[in-house]
Amino acid sequence: MSLTAESPVHSSSSSDDFVAALELDLAMNNSSSSSSTSSNKSLGRDSSNAGSDKDEDTDGEKEINKEGEQEADEEGQEADEEGHRRIKRCKIENIDVTLKSKSAIVNDLLSKRGCPHPGLYKGLCVNCGKPIEDDGSGVAFGYIREGLTVRPTEIQRLREIDLKNLFHKKKLILVLDLDHTLLNSTRYVDISFEEDLLLRKIDPMHGDPKRSLFRLDSMHLLTKLRPYVHTFLSEASNMYEMYIYTMAERSYALEIAKILDPSEVYFHSKVICQSDCTQRYQKGLDVVLGAENTVVILDDTEAVWQKHKQNLILMERYHYFSSSSRQFNSNFKPLLLAKEDESETDGILYSILTVLKRVHHMFYDTVSEDNLNGSDVRLVLRNVRQEILQGCKLVFSHIFPSESRGEDHRIWRMCEQLGAKCYTEVDLSITHIISNDRGTRKSRWAIENEKFLVNPGWVEGAYFLWRRMQEKDYPVSTPRILNPPKIESAQVE
Amino acid sequence: MFFHIVKEKNMRLHPRYFGPRIREKLVMKLREEVEGTCSRRHGFVVTIIGIDDIGEGKICEVTGFAIFPVTYQCVVFMPFIGEVLEAAVTIVNKMGFFAEAGPLQIFVSTHLIPQDMVFQTGDIRNYTSNDKSVKIQKDSEVRLKIIGTRVDPTEIFCIATMNEDFLGVINDDPVTAIQHSEVIHQVTQ
Repeated sequence: MSLTAESPVHSSSSSDDFVAALELDLAMNNSSSSSSTSSNKSLGRDSSNAGSDKDEDTDGEKEINKEGEQEADEEGQEADEEGHRRIKRCKIENIDVTLKSKSAIVNDLLSKRGCPHPGLYKGLCVNCGKPIEDDGSGVAFGYIREGLTVRPTEIQRLREIDLKNLFHKKKLILVLDLDHTLLNSTRYVDISFEEDLLLRKIDPMHGDPKRSLFRLDSMHLLTKLRPYVHTFLSEASNMYEMYIYTMAERSYALEIAKILDPSEVYFHSKVICQSDCTQRYQKGLDVVLGAENTVVILDDTEAVWQKHKQNLILMERYHYFSSSSRQFNSNFKPLLLAKEDESETDGILYSILTVLKRVHHMFYDTVSEDNLNGSDVRLVLRNVRQEILQGCKLVFSHIFPSESRGEDHRIWRMCEQLGAKCYTEVDLSITHIISNDRGTRKSRWAIENEKFLVNPGWVEGAYFLWRRMQEKDYPVSTPRILNPPKIESAQVE
Repeated sequence: MFFHIVKEKNMRLHPRYFGPRIREKLVMKLREEVEGTCSRRHGFVVTIIGIDDIGEGKICEVTGFAIFPVTYQCVVFMPFIGEVLEAAVTIVNKMGFFAEAGPLQIFVSTHLIPQDMVFQTGDIRNYTSNDKSVKIQKDSEVRLKIIGTRVDPTEIFCIATMNEDFLGVINDDPVTAIQHSEVIHQVTQ
């Protein structure tokens, strides 16, 4: 039979021929990339398909022709539709044939389109296996595995996947610092004689699961865990995926991780240390595979988190050994020498845990599946902080020089973050006077007018413990002229 | 793939060992120097099976050391691109998983894992398929195809894919998988 004789419109049949030829080509290309045996099969099948389709279509066309009352355009259209349907049918056949080697096709397409080289492992692209030059745009993830780098687009993609995963599990991300936040370490050589005697008395049995004093003989270090740390970790792990991020060496970090997490549940492959930081002496969230609006950071130093201050919960330093309080020139007596320890049930970690729970609830109240960026941990943190000293109106006395702007001083900023309002002049609406000296004019005004008179420790207490402290616990003593006030240098007002 | 090849090496020997046990000493030194090393051409030298010949030693005039050309037979392991092999999973994380096949360290990225396998965090990190029938976790056995290799002086690293036909998990039961991997380790050590 001849197509040309049957169909009235010459052009459509030639287009059909063209389409058929195209499809044959497609079939040949596809089958050539798969294994040889299947290619022979598919070639045979496809050509026979094409042939049979042609037959079917000519029948269709004959029917259309028989009906005859259609205009040339419509027939052209119908023929085209037939052509489309035939393409679809052929494509379905193709898909069936190539289902066995679809991945080979995908890989082939990828290599034709160009592999995006999402990451490198030891210099080899993880997607196509070719050795690729590292152009420095990738971030090294040495803490997961040495030699792994990931490109920024891939990091973004991983972050988005992580965000969805977190949402499904209703979790956030918690980045923990080690030294002075969860524990305190000291070298053997730095332990003084009295400390040594006290330690010998306290040192419990090795098998005790609740012990908090650990010896790291390989590094000549002694470590004291902060009270409540084990409960803190287990409770936080229900709401947060946890990372360790420390400025110490990898070997130390891994040893501590083993102590805190013996069964490797919390921190497996999530211990980031100094060598993983992309910038010297600065910690960054670029090596954390998580969206920034879900990360809460717990650290005792603010200076290393310049870029992510809003995600940071500042922790009060844990000084157990005298070497560590000497290191920071701190006035606080180290806990070991004072023969005491932070309270388990009312200490820093407990308060921070309550805050973390609160942040978690507030975050998941406002976020929804389709708007995962709707909630932001940073905003939540700020709001929670603002509530602590809400409604307080403060004036500072003898804390910083009166010529300088109050806003420049750390304690002013802390108070504003805590939701209090700071003023320079007193009036009757003021609620608190912060001072170190009972004899100043403003302090005396406070006593006369029955306003609260507290020392700056009250502000710090609120900042670290996330609740309003009792004013009577922070009294201001009578002035001792010889001792300068603790926080800032003072001048006579 | 494992190969049994014959290689030759020039061994330098200090004169203090010229004595009745010179041959033993040579063989010992050869083992120390060669076993466990990698070369681009032959791959990872697993073990020396036997010594074919030790040639005449020539004393180097400058240093006083003697140089012996030693011909020996050894088993080597060389991965090839396109080779399919079985490996035991060691570490699983969100970017993919790491597996070991003898001395070979293999990384399979998520891009090359079938799309329906999703990463699950938790006590045991794994990749699970949609219908929960297939799991990739630590100590599972998987069949992989190598797509890229890199040879360092002491180690070989590979990138592999699991996204093709007949590749994937063989056995995700850790108990039997560990038994299998122990056998493999014994052979290679």
